[in-house]
Amino acid sequence: MTASQIKVNMLAKAAHHPTSASSGAFESSDLKSPKTKAIVTKGVEMVFQSGSQRFHALSSVDLDIYSGDVQLLMGPSGSGKTTLLSILGGILTPTKGSVQILDREITDLSRSELSRFRLHNIGFIFQEFNLFSALTAAENVELVLKLKGFKQRAARKEARELLEQVGLGQKINNKPHDLSGGQKQRVAIARALAGSPQLIMADEPTAALDSQSGHEVIALLRQLAKEGGRTVLMVTHDPRIIDVADRVAYLEDGKLKR
Amino acid sequence: MVSIARKNLFEDIPRFLVAQAGIMFAVSLVTIQTGILNGFTRSTVLLIENSTADLWMAAREMENLELTQPIPAERVTQAQQVEGVARAEALAIQSGRWISPSGDIASVRIIGYDPAGQLFRLWNVTQGSQADIRQPYSLIVDEANLKSLGFDQVGEQANIGAAPARLVGLTKGTQSIASSAFVFTSLENTKAYATAGLTSTVRCRTQAQGGVDCTTVYERLQASPNQAAPNAPAISEPQPLNANDPIAYVLVKAEAGQDVTNLQRRLNDQFPNNHTYTRAEMANITRDYWQRRTGIGFVLGLGATVGIIVGVVIVGQILYSSVSDNIKEFGTLKAMGASDWIIYRVIIEQALWMAILGYIPSIGLCLGLGTWTFATQGIMILITPISAAGIFAITVGMCVGSAIFAIQKVTHVDPAIVFKA
Ligand SMILES: Nc1ncnc2c1ncn2[C@@H]1O[C@H](COP(=O)(O)OP(=O)(O)O)[C@@H](O)[C@H]1O
Ligand SMILES: [Mg+2]
Repeated sequence: MTASQIKVNMLAKAAHHPTSASSGAFESSDLKSPKTKAIVTKGVEMVFQSGSQRFHALSSVDLDIYSGDVQLLMGPSGSGKTTLLSILGGILTPTKGSVQILDREITDLSRSELSRFRLHNIGFIFQEFNLFSALTAAENVELVLKLKGFKQRAARKEARELLEQVGLGQKINNKPHDLSGGQKQRVAIARALAGSPQLIMADEPTAALDSQSGHEVIALLRQLAKEGGRTVLMVTHDPRIIDVADRVAYLEDGKLKR
Repeated sequence: MVSIARKNLFEDIPRFLVAQAGIMFAVSLVTIQTGILNGFTRSTVLLIENSTADLWMAAREMENLELTQPIPAERVTQAQQVEGVARAEALAIQSGRWISPSGDIASVRIIGYDPAGQLFRLWNVTQGSQADIRQPYSLIVDEANLKSLGFDQVGEQANIGAAPARLVGLTKGTQSIASSAFVFTSLENTKAYATAGLTSTVRCRTQAQGGVDCTTVYERLQASPNQAAPNAPAISEPQPLNANDPIAYVLVKAEAGQDVTNLQRRLNDQFPNNHTYTRAEMANITRDYWQRRTGIGFVLGLGATVGIIVGVVIVGQILYSSVSDNIKEFGTLKAMGASDWIIYRVIIEQALWMAILGYIPSIGLCLGLGTWTFATQGIMILITPISAAGIFAITVGMCVGSAIFAIQKVTHVDPAIVFKA
């Protein structure tokens, strides 16, 4: 797939899902116009086994996430948010239950199929940024584009554009080392958006940032996601982010709170 | 591909330098060991490979160039008459006891040839001229042996047994590392050295193939060799070889267009008491003899193996620690959906960079070292294009092989670690 094809696809999608008002912040799907579901989980259970110890991190999680939404996942520390995000991102396979992402049952996929699925459909943003420290901002983004099959020249051009979109047009040749936390997370956003995946998954993306830049980063993420018609699943502790969310799910002791 | 491998490598320069030092150590060790082995084996057959003779006729008992039974000098004229032989020349090899100007003794190998001949010529005469060895008791030695023979320069005189030995010229790169010092002189002088102060008898040996082979044997007249004082013997003018005088080889040049194998067969048929070898056979027999005899291949191979093991350990350790340091980045790559192969490629690419950047300076270093040892020690560290290519392959194998540890580490990384702070 070429860059331009991906763009066209995304624009078409965006047209089908006009940005919904961010009024209904809480889970209230009934009030919304019918939307397609990006993720559907049924009876997801995650049991960690360490030695003879069994630990139920998640129990019977049924969660639907709608296309184009910014979906928050909140809950106290240790409630299973990261575990659920990893499962919904196709990184962790649940011990039980069904997970459909973009109409694919991912619990049936092999390890390498799952890997390819993630590559083309999901962009990740991490609390600690997880940039490649030896690479410049542009190279960090280029690397992902190259993995997705972009040619060198197209990747370079695309990376530059993405970094301009996140406001780092002047910093493309800086290494992570020379960037502030907020700037690093912007690079990470550009990287997550690279190649236009339909889903963006972020685990506490503001936890390592001061509140000012945290806010800027979230606003930027929301704006770019909405422009591209992408679905965002974000784990957060930060109650102020609720304002930018379309829906919020609460986890407690591995169970969804209604 | 954005070379994450190369950039990871250069991110920590001190570690990179340690890795390169380790690789250079390993590569240099392997290069020097194989270079010495090459130089050694090449040196044992230098005289054979620099001769233009197609065939070497020798005694059937020949073990190596310097270890053979004598054959009578008349074989030269006999061989000359064989159809298809363009030239036949004698090569004599004798042992001698060298007495240096200061009285130190050493064994020498006297190589006698016809300085006017064509099939055996000294190929790298640095001082004097080959024609000068026609003068009585005159000889040429290799520069590398100058000191051990007690000489400082051309023109000085020592003794071989009871006879004088005057240095008239020097060569370079003509000495076999495995042998006593070679002294090059004419056939006449060789005979004179063999006979000085001795009496001659003709000794005949019955050959397995039937027939009798006779050569002259020179022996001391007196029962006690101590009485032959080195400086006061009756020294006579060197004489040309007689039919029965011992030589070591008849060097044969085939006529143009003559099939060498056919000629070899003809010579073997006509001289059943002798055996005729091609130049390649002569060289192989001599090379194999020295390799077997000295076990040098094993010893140097052991050294090279140690080098490779050290290299694997160092490169493996460096790659492993580099991957461990960047494990979260590799986890991130995995989480983002990079296939295992892409990740292996990054590590292998890193190993290849280490191989290339370790190999180039090492070979340069060894070439320099080889030039130096040859100039100062006369020991050749021979790096042929083939061995250089082979060592490059070994280096790449070593580095990529070492990457297995690092690949193991990455294979087991759980992409879920990416969400752990
Ligand atoms: N690999 C694992 N092995 C064992 N227990 C785990 C593992 N990962 C997470 N857990 C446990 O599962 C629970 C939920 O963890 P997590 O999803 O990280 O919570 P949160 O992100 O909400 O803080 C925690 O009690 C944690 O200790
Ligand atoms: Mg967490």
